[in-house]
Amino acid sequence: MGRIVGSVLLAVILSMTSWALAQDTIKIGVVGPRTGPAAATGKAFEEGIAIALDHINAKGGVLGKKLEVVFEDTGGVPEKAASAFEKLATRDKVPIVVGESHSSSALAEIEVANRYKVPFIICEAWHDDITKKNYRWVFRAGPVNSGVVDFYIAPFVKENGFKKVAIVRENSDWGAGIAERTEYNMKNFGLPFVTLKVERESKDFYTELTKLKGENPDIILAYIYGTGLHFFVAQANEVGLSPKSLILDGAGPPSLWDSFWKNVGKAGDLELFISSMHEKVHLTPTSRKFWEDYKKKFGKDPSDYKTRSIYNVVLIAADAINRAKSTNNEAIVEALEKTNLEVTTGIVKFGLKQGSYEYHQWMPPMLVVQWQDQKQVVVFPKEAATGELKRGR
Amino acid sequence: MMKTWISLPLIFLLIFLPFFLSQYWLHVMIISLFYVMMASSWNLIAGYTGQISFAHAAFAGVGAYVSGMLAVNIGIPPWLGIFVGTFVASLLGVGLGYLCIRMGGIYLSLTTLGFSEILRIIITNEDRWTRGTMGLQIPGFFTEYSKMSYYFLFLIVSAVFLFILYRLIHSEMGLSFRAVLNDELAAASSGIDTIRVRILAFTISSAMAGMAGGLYGHYLMLITPDIPSLGQMFLVLAMAVIGGMGSFIGPILGAFVLEVLSEYIRIYGEYHVLLFGLVALGVARFAPEGMVGVIKKRWKVKESP
Repeated sequence: MGRIVGSVLLAVILSMTSWALAQDTIKIGVVGPRTGPAAATGKAFEEGIAIALDHINAKGGVLGKKLEVVFEDTGGVPEKAASAFEKLATRDKVPIVVGESHSSSALAEIEVANRYKVPFIICEAWHDDITKKNYRWVFRAGPVNSGVVDFYIAPFVKENGFKKVAIVRENSDWGAGIAERTEYNMKNFGLPFVTLKVERESKDFYTELTKLKGENPDIILAYIYGTGLHFFVAQANEVGLSPKSLILDGAGPPSLWDSFWKNVGKAGDLELFISSMHEKVHLTPTSRKFWEDYKKKFGKDPSDYKTRSIYNVVLIAADAINRAKSTNNEAIVEALEKTNLEVTTGIVKFGLKQGSYEYHQWMPPMLVVQWQDQKQVVVFPKEAATGELKRGR
Repeated sequence: MMKTWISLPLIFLLIFLPFFLSQYWLHVMIISLFYVMMASSWNLIAGYTGQISFAHAAFAGVGAYVSGMLAVNIGIPPWLGIFVGTFVASLLGVGLGYLCIRMGGIYLSLTTLGFSEILRIIITNEDRWTRGTMGLQIPGFFTEYSKMSYYFLFLIVSAVFLFILYRLIHSEMGLSFRAVLNDELAAASSGIDTIRVRILAFTISSAMAGMAGGLYGHYLMLITPDIPSLGQMFLVLAMAVIGGMGSFIGPILGAFVLEVLSEYIRIYGEYHVLLFGLVALGVARFAPEGMVGVIKKRWKVKESP
């Protein structure tokens, strides 16, 4: 009896391995948080990857082979992120890794990428240093703190004539970096501001909010990523701070997650957030195609713009491997440096001048969006606006 | 005689194995060796003197952060830093031991639990110095990064630890350790200074945790409050319990088995700690001598006709 079971088991295993061998695929790595306070980003990534793979494989895949991904969870924790990247580099031996949406994790991962010489395209970790370190293997096709603040958040604050600014930032690299850049801009404008630091995984902001009430700001720049933002928005309304003081979510996705309205209720009205995606704003044909493919596959409109960010970087990686005509790391980096590819947010071209964060960096245009009666209204920049900014009372 | 026949090939295996391993499995082996150090040294207090401490991971954190911060802020080389870290951990061990070992039993567990959480919160919140949950990037031991070098470093230190532990357990002091475990009152009445014995065991074990933590930190080159976390503590506890508490081989076996296993069940995220916890609970209830106990029983049944 035991022998029969054993031989059947052996046969199954053998057939499985031969099947796996027969499948000629190229695997690329993905890193991102699938657990922890930003697990929703992992979900958004999964959706974006699925559509990107369908799109690429329908067109014949990569180097004539089917493209697949190995998605390692980072939990949003730097040391897990580093070990996840290390696993992709040493165990799966992937030719390229894409993804990430936490700056602290990305800063740990780029060290590993540099050590193993694995090309890495980051889509949603904004800290300047990620590209400022000028690592040959590290690219970013996504927002960077200085860009987001200098071109969007600061001009938005200035043009709308806000008089007093409050900056609430989490204790992460992204939070510290973006707050610092904002302070720099506010000083240049001569606008008074106050900065408060909060714990990244905090659920209770009453102490900070009470302080803020004394300051009476007319705009609060909330640099909190994760469900913490939901608590912040709900509690700010509860203590009577907002919507008199408008809140701008400086990251964006938390205001777009399905759980947002459930967690904040009416307090979400008039809340503002940063985004790179809006139903009515399509900068390229690829953007429209993404929107249609997404609706077809998931039966709803895409909400989290990070779905599209990961879609973009998978496209960029596939394009680079195809042009490199190999999975060799040097060849891929050379191909990436010559990237000229249309994605959903524009045409990607990486900066090549060393010395600043612009090296190996490409930033998509962003939008400032406001929730008005649970509808997304683009209020900044003016060229893309679909409505007027509404102020609270 | 029997023992040399088993251990000689094992030593050969451990020396030559890395040449056949991929970078990835080498990494798994290095982490396993870290857990061998952690579980074995925890076993000294828990298995041999019967004091369940929850501060073991915290001491590893002390070692890692002291050495790491010295290297980052003052440029002290890691080689020196880990000894400072070990020293600080042993000092804290004496202090904590002196404070709460008199209480014994559940109070020791509660106090060490508190200490461990306080330490984690301090590291998380003092992010100006520790960079909190963002993680502190620290230099490694070798100018040229090589997993092979780290493997042998970890192997040598583990061997030294195990040698010290073995000699301790089989010395007169080890006898008093076990006497305290079996019956504290009887031990005290036969002239053993039970408090001194316990504090001594606690200090040695804390120092070892401190050094293991320092090595671990400089291997990962990134330290976060995850090192002194309770999750890490429970993993070490599960390794010792499942392997076999109070036996020399038990924690070594447990560390390797659980670390390799956790590589396979990583996809379930945090749940693997929960799973190990449940298994450890079952083992503690139904096979208190752990894997080693089960193997020994089998062995004996087979030997006797």
